[in-house]
Amino acid sequence: MKLVSKRVAAVTATMAAAALVAGCSSGGGDTGGGSAEGGGTLTLGILGEPTSWDPSQAHVGHGLQPYQVTYDTLVLRTADGTLEPMLATEWSYNDDRTELTLELRDDVTFSDGADFDAEAVKANIENLKNNNGRQAAQVAAVESVDPVDDDTVVLSLSAPDPSLEYNLSQAAGLMGSPETLGTDELISTPVGSGPYVMDTAQSVSGSQLVFTAREDYWNPDLQKFDSIVLKPYEELTARLNALLSNQVDATILDASTAEQAEGAGFETLEDYQVDWQGLLLLDRDGTQVPALADVRVRQAINYAIDRDTMLESILRGYGDPTQQVFGPDSGASVDELDSRYDFDPEQAKDLLAEAGYADGFDLPITAGPGFETAMAALTQQLADVGIRVQVVSVNTQTFLDDLTSGKIPVLYQNLFQGEPWVAINQIISTEAIYNPFDSTTPELQELITAVQNGGDDSAEEAKAVNEYISENAWFAPVYRIDQVYSYNADTITTEKQTQQAVPSIYNYAPAS
Amino acid sequence: MITYSLKRIASGIVLLAVICAAAYALLFVNGSSIARNIVGDQATEAQVEAKSIELGLDQPLPLRFLDWVGSALTGDLGRSWFGTLTVSDALTTRLPVTLALIGVAMLFVTLLATTIGTLAAVKRGWIDRAVQVGAVIGDAIPGFVLAVVLATVFAVQLGWFPAVSSIGPGAGADAWIASLTLPVIAIVLNYVTASAQQIRSAVIQQRDRDFVRTLRSRGLGESEILLKHVLRAAAPAGLTVLSLQFVGLLGGAVILERIFALPGIGQLAVTSTVSGDIPIVMGVVLYTVVIVVIVNLAVDLINGWLNPKVRVS
Repeated sequence: MKLVSKRVAAVTATMAAAALVAGCSSGGGDTGGGSAEGGGTLTLGILGEPTSWDPSQAHVGHGLQPYQVTYDTLVLRTADGTLEPMLATEWSYNDDRTELTLELRDDVTFSDGADFDAEAVKANIENLKNNNGRQAAQVAAVESVDPVDDDTVVLSLSAPDPSLEYNLSQAAGLMGSPETLGTDELISTPVGSGPYVMDTAQSVSGSQLVFTAREDYWNPDLQKFDSIVLKPYEELTARLNALLSNQVDATILDASTAEQAEGAGFETLEDYQVDWQGLLLLDRDGTQVPALADVRVRQAINYAIDRDTMLESILRGYGDPTQQVFGPDSGASVDELDSRYDFDPEQAKDLLAEAGYADGFDLPITAGPGFETAMAALTQQLADVGIRVQVVSVNTQTFLDDLTSGKIPVLYQNLFQGEPWVAINQIISTEAIYNPFDSTTPELQELITAVQNGGDDSAEEAKAVNEYISENAWFAPVYRIDQVYSYNADTITTEKQTQQAVPSIYNYAPAS
Repeated sequence: MITYSLKRIASGIVLLAVICAAAYALLFVNGSSIARNIVGDQATEAQVEAKSIELGLDQPLPLRFLDWVGSALTGDLGRSWFGTLTVSDALTTRLPVTLALIGVAMLFVTLLATTIGTLAAVKRGWIDRAVQVGAVIGDAIPGFVLAVVLATVFAVQLGWFPAVSSIGPGAGADAWIASLTLPVIAIVLNYVTASAQQIRSAVIQQRDRDFVRTLRSRGLGESEILLKHVLRAAAPAGLTVLSLQFVGLLGGAVILERIFALPGIGQLAVTSTVSGDIPIVMGVVLYTVVIVVIVNLAVDLINGWLNPKVRVS
């Protein structure tokens, strides 16, 4: 073995010598933030890059952040979720909330020199509607976009949409240069009015995306760095190692890696909860699993889950147990609901017996990759009250098709806790993809309509929806998960973005 | 030799056609779901349908394949359905990374395996036993464990190398060397003993042959016999295992690419297969088959050059 190790050592030493030189110039070192004036480079390890730079293809959460680097939105959503002016200086609804009038800035240009105006807003919203983007639903209610003059535009709606203003701070609000929309060039190179422009010579998809500050940007307050580098790392280990070795300033980790980053002196954003995880009891009419049609069975499932134990053993405490699907930041959460179904296996057994399932029943649960330990725990806990779980693995390619065609009676899933109207349209209304069996009742429909027409009170109205689906046990939520977003406090500061998986790009600044 | 090469190239082209057709057919098993995956979970049925038509997913399979072949023959492999690049751009930026990784690793594997294997065959004793044991250990340690350990110790703790790739546009040789060193070491540690064992067996076998005894009887020195004759005769066995390893690594390096965030072709192959990015998958298939055909041809030619007897057969 001596001979082997000597040779390997010799090779290693030679390569190491060469690499030491390289290490100084290429690793780390580029995170030059820290000067009192700001500036420097912000380097982020991101989960994935946009599939296209056409703003119509933008997504939410992780998927929105890269667009914010180079596109402005009509409305700015601050870290705590407040909506403030950005490209739109003010906006107001008519009385029945079917017309939203936006006043626009008149001093903004796109990076190709084109002016931003009402026609640009029209072109972008129509592009989102017609170009088949992932978030086209954000403007589904918009029937027409009518410029009144250069800096006034009216969005006419088919029905009130309580989340429209929020949407205009998201994918629906991203504004690209009108001439470029829908072109092949825009797929690979963004053309927006945002604080940074892509340095195409330095950017390679799959490796790094480099952006430099725009000189004549209209709002220098949002432009805190000289340049921003986004590095896509799909692999968790790669993100962790990139952070630990100072190759990035911040990245998203998880409960299994959080302690390692914290142990190495990196900061983690606190109280940052975006997603909930749990069972979606979809087949509420019992088409595939007849037992699920009985509300007592669905309630029994809720009572059977020992959320505290699951939180400690699976998430290592990085989260909070929850029994409701609306998040604390949504305005629709109800404190009492979080103790509606406290762990009580005896109660679960009684309910099952009342419903005629004293001997239990078979329950197929579909779960995706990464949920193996959670499913093992749930299988055991449900077995303890007599429910025999069969875990069905998700086929990633056909998952959405299987879901929409009603092949999945119960799903274990990780879902975003959004604004009430967003959540309703994601998991509760008959249009929602996570309501594939179109479950509803006239009573619930009435409550949903009240939210839609609730205007500024719509979040308050959504509490009734929350109570209804909780009482009827549409879901069996387990916990809300802490986002583990870690950063190097020596180089940057950052702040969580309410209801968004990663901070908005405006939430970063050089460390002082 | 030329006829032989031409024959091999012709069979390579047939192979390419067959594999492309098979891959294309297999990829569309879940064809209808692809449009849904692209437009996402918020999309309406109408949106899914529009996407289907846009991508031609509503056309019959043979027609779509012929369409793809037609474009491919003119050098147009299309655009990624889930990314910002054309297929050619995606492959040409990533292929050099993977080829450099595997090429350099295999070079070291070849040199080390030949040296260790030959030493084991000639000296026997403890070196031989070490190679046997090492082969088992090398096979048994999963590549990703080795990669994680190397990254943790040499990149994160000691800081000698970047933990994740710093290969980017205009990156100099220094960035390439720094980024490739750890993954190359991981591959070498994983593969060298298996190859060494093959070479060891071949050398032992050849040293027992009659021609070696004849050479000895004519008074040639042991080292001359070993270097000029035995190794040459043992080369085919070694080259075969090395070429198999090379081909295996084209896809097998994906774990290393992920852990070290190397923008290589393996990562692209996996993510595009999972998402159903058919233009990219077909591009990867096409390039991979071409590389495999070239590597095999090169191995055959080297074998023929080293050992004239192979040329006859």
